[in-house]
Amino acid sequence: MKQLIGKTSVRDNIELSETPSYPIFRELYEKQKKAIWFPEELNIQQDALDYHALSPDEKDLFDTAVGYFCSSELLVQNVLVNSFFPMLSDPHAKMSFSTQLFMENIHSDFFEIVLQSFNMDREKMYKVAFDDPILKKKMDLIVEEIDNISYGKIDPDTLQGRKDVLRAILINNIIMEGIFFYSSFAHFFALKDMGKMRNVVSGVELILIDESLHLQNGIEAILIMLEETPEIVDDAQFVREIREVILKGTYLEIEYVQHKFDNKTILGISSSELERYLKYITDRRLEELGFTPEFNITENPLRFLQKEDVKKLINFFEVSSTEYTNY
Amino acid sequence: MQRTVIKRDGSQEKFETQKIINAIFEILVGLEIEDNYEIVFRIMKELDLKVPELVKTEELDQLLLKAIEQLIPQHPMFDTLATRQLLKQINKKIDRQLVSFTEYLDHAINEKLVKEELLEFDLDILQSAMDYGRDELFGYFGLTTLRDRYLMKDRSQNIIEKPQWFFMRVAMGIGNTNEEVVKVYNKLSQLEYMHSTPTLFNSGTPMSQYSSCYVSVVDDSLDSIMAKATETAFLAKHAGGVGTDVSRVRATGSLINSLNAKSSGVIPFIKVFDTLVNSIQQGGRRRSSQVISIQPWHLDIEAFLDLKETTGNAYFRTPSLNTKLWTPDEIMRRIEHKEDVYLFDPGECPELVEAIGADFTEKYNQRIKEAEAGKIQQFKKIEGETFYKKYLFKLAKTGHPWLIFKDEHNRKNPCPDYSVINSSNLCTEISIPNRPDSTAVCTLASLNLSKHVKSDGSDFDWDKIQDTLETMVLALDNILDKNFYPSEEAKRNTMDLRPLGIGLMGFAEALVDLKISYDSEEAVIAARKLGQFMRKTCYAKSEELAQERGAFNHYKEAKYDYSPRRNAVLLAIAPTATISIISGTTSSIDSYFSNLYSRDTLSGKHIVINSQLIFDLEEKGLWDDRMATLIKQHSGSVQLIDEFEGKIDKEIYKTAYEIHPNRQVDIAAAFQESIDQAVSKSLYIDEQLRGDMPEIYLYAWKKKLKSTYYCFIDKVVKGEKYTSKVNKRGSRSGFGGGSEKEETSKVSVDESETTAESISSTPTSVRRGFGQPAATETAESQEALILEARAKFGDERVEEVLAAGEDACPTDPLLRKICPSCE
Repeated sequence: MKQLIGKTSVRDNIELSETPSYPIFRELYEKQKKAIWFPEELNIQQDALDYHALSPDEKDLFDTAVGYFCSSELLVQNVLVNSFFPMLSDPHAKMSFSTQLFMENIHSDFFEIVLQSFNMDREKMYKVAFDDPILKKKMDLIVEEIDNISYGKIDPDTLQGRKDVLRAILINNIIMEGIFFYSSFAHFFALKDMGKMRNVVSGVELILIDESLHLQNGIEAILIMLEETPEIVDDAQFVREIREVILKGTYLEIEYVQHKFDNKTILGISSSELERYLKYITDRRLEELGFTPEFNITENPLRFLQKEDVKKLINFFEVSSTEYTNY
Repeated sequence: MQRTVIKRDGSQEKFETQKIINAIFEILVGLEIEDNYEIVFRIMKELDLKVPELVKTEELDQLLLKAIEQLIPQHPMFDTLATRQLLKQINKKIDRQLVSFTEYLDHAINEKLVKEELLEFDLDILQSAMDYGRDELFGYFGLTTLRDRYLMKDRSQNIIEKPQWFFMRVAMGIGNTNEEVVKVYNKLSQLEYMHSTPTLFNSGTPMSQYSSCYVSVVDDSLDSIMAKATETAFLAKHAGGVGTDVSRVRATGSLINSLNAKSSGVIPFIKVFDTLVNSIQQGGRRRSSQVISIQPWHLDIEAFLDLKETTGNAYFRTPSLNTKLWTPDEIMRRIEHKEDVYLFDPGECPELVEAIGADFTEKYNQRIKEAEAGKIQQFKKIEGETFYKKYLFKLAKTGHPWLIFKDEHNRKNPCPDYSVINSSNLCTEISIPNRPDSTAVCTLASLNLSKHVKSDGSDFDWDKIQDTLETMVLALDNILDKNFYPSEEAKRNTMDLRPLGIGLMGFAEALVDLKISYDSEEAVIAARKLGQFMRKTCYAKSEELAQERGAFNHYKEAKYDYSPRRNAVLLAIAPTATISIISGTTSSIDSYFSNLYSRDTLSGKHIVINSQLIFDLEEKGLWDDRMATLIKQHSGSVQLIDEFEGKIDKEIYKTAYEIHPNRQVDIAAAFQESIDQAVSKSLYIDEQLRGDMPEIYLYAWKKKLKSTYYCFIDKVVKGEKYTSKVNKRGSRSGFGGGSEKEETSKVSVDESETTAESISSTPTSVRRGFGQPAATETAESQEALILEARAKFGDERVEEVLAAGEDACPTDPLLRKICPSCE
């Protein structure tokens, strides 16, 4: 039986079917297509005055978040391309994941424009994720794991190979995009909540839409692999390790926000709120993959994020709109 | 966690929950609430997570406000509490600097922020008219907006205006006598009507620029283009929105006689305005803005449609401008009948620009004949239907250009001898004759209809509406003579025509009070009646003013067959984006956008809830946190919530995308029948109706709308919900951890957008889980108990209990629960 993951040749999978094996990926491709946007739609320069008026804490938080995304968006691409994409055996799945790749370009482009608009120190920004000792731990988790897994050694036709691919996609699409990114999103949204950096954050709102679709790409791939190779779940040790690596990601992120927020509040939020928020998000991720929740936190403590969940009405004269669609 | 408060003077003290609890009780005073204690507890629970180990006094105030703000979607009462807390903060700060209204005036005059002439009023009379109790009328969003942008700051950037002082300062910049000032103050401070933003900003200040909009006309010459650029810069600097018509500017390839060379067309010049507006918008409190209008037969129209695209040649893109089409009936008729549309160069066919109605049709057809006979240098022929479809595609994609109807505007022109109407303003509600040497200016104010409904909900309070409208006519007419005009052309137009723009807001809120569904014929009838009443009342008042103060100048020169009045035009329904927020009501004549939605403004993001719905549900015993969540999951719609069936009238709570665009047009059309200028109407189109856009916009034209405004189309792809449960896994088991428990926890809370159903394979066997024991649940409730105990018994007692050994067990049941040894 054909499986989602396997050895492929350039000759394979060059034909789309009207009845795809994985209709979900066609659907996700369509959704991503509709979500496409371009950084030029946002008047980022408009935030220049705001940027210079940020308090040192706020500025640091903003800079680090931008720096983190600058390198991470490209990292996501690396991981997908190196460890996962060549083994995708389904043309619709490929379209969905390559659209994700394209969207990551848009995000890189967006953050690049942010760097230029506020005259930020580019070199420092791209390095921040590796220079900051705590951010580095987060990056290391991703980079080292994936390198271990993917350095040209994966054989997707073996059980071990499948497990490796699964772990790679999990680390990338779930831990990085689904936990680390969501932490930084909250920092950006807190800024806009206080009326600061509105146009940049409008872009981040669009990125959130994109990332939630990418997250779904990852979750679907994992769930499909689990269904196609039930033996993976039979390996209790492996399942335990998966859960552990997710939690490891969460604790690294918690360590990071505790370090950033220290004993103070920034933008009206404190590290205990963020910690709780991360636990809430982690529970969600665990449950999405079929694990029992770890922290049992049923409510998102960052209530201002409700504003992202409801319909938006925009004073066009004042803020770049994220409500028009290009398709 | 041991917390410490750093006080203003730098000293430290122990953080005491009791003090905060007292502060909350303070803002609860006078509210009719069943369970005070429950409210305090909920706020404390939010706050507890926010307070870090070291916290400054002011920071604590701010965090308390944030904690209350977070609860606003749960109940409107939290909105009241947040407003009170914010008010307390504003007042506390000002009190430290200024003790009275007169002291504020002196300080502001000293710093040259307020005109010295204001002191000529009888300050005793004015002070005794002030009623600080009216602060209670604000909602939290309104007060936040006021604080962030409207309340005056001194030169050291401290806010020096209390809300009532603000209203009084605005009134003093408008009234000519003490009585007029008090009258205007009373109306404004009770939120019965509101002046437009520039008036609220600048009234009574040395920079007395009260007007919102200017509409200018660019002639087909480099001189004129550069002169208008200069004028635009000054209009924009003073916070006005500028509308500029460029239909006269020759098209690409048109011959320039003086150079004997070909023109590069109108687009590069539009780019000049884009750059200009972008450079000016960065400094002020609100960014300036401009709309460029063009007639759709202009040869450069296709490039014009692309101006708001985000990709392509940057020299042909204008991200900072708005655009619109100033469309003659003949073009609409050709579109409707699927005939061809011809594009011409205004340099070659200048007579088409000012021609209106049948005259335009005749001249246009004449040019078509010449074109077909090969006698026209430059022209282009496109299928009307193709052109229309392309236009609507751009509208849906970029939100621009808006569709405005040239002939309908001109048919109702009260002063055709003065000039034709050359386009409308930024928000499309202005319709005033203008020329290259006479720039139309409009000074706006809007009646808040939600404050003009009889208390028994039986009808509008017509007497009160009349009283408010009369005050508005007087106030706006006063303003025209006090206004600072940034250009000679603008001053000329006002002195000749004295145009006013009286509109309204809160229409939808008032309809709910009257139990009328926006989506009904009754609503259309109400709109018609209101329009007629507005016209009758305002015209009567203007005619009365003409007796006292004289008719507008142009009336005296021309021969018109209507009775003399003070103002050429009086009515215009503006979108009221920000002033409806200050007034806490629905904007303009729009329906509720949604029953729960967020709004992006310069003051940040705010959640807006339909409190009318919540009170209605509460009365029926249907409101609780679960309902709040349910409505959120339905994206603010109540139409599909079964539990409300038969309990509330769902019809009256329909939201923007649930009302057919044709009905939205009907409402606007009913108002337009009597409004002498225009009605600015945004259309909200559900994604499903996107294919019907050609019919919808033709319908708008046939119903004789003068203008349409933004076209909102519900966005299809949304992000993952942040605060409510999302189930992407469906019924698949994934890693299968703790599956038994899992199945029961997935109730109706799941998102409907789940993609699970498209996955055909359902797992047949349910796998054993590897889930970890859920341990934190009890710790969770313990925290809550401690908090509750702190609230009830104070910190000291709780610390005592928590630290206590076996011999010190408390007797109170609550304290026993948290006592480690009793446990």
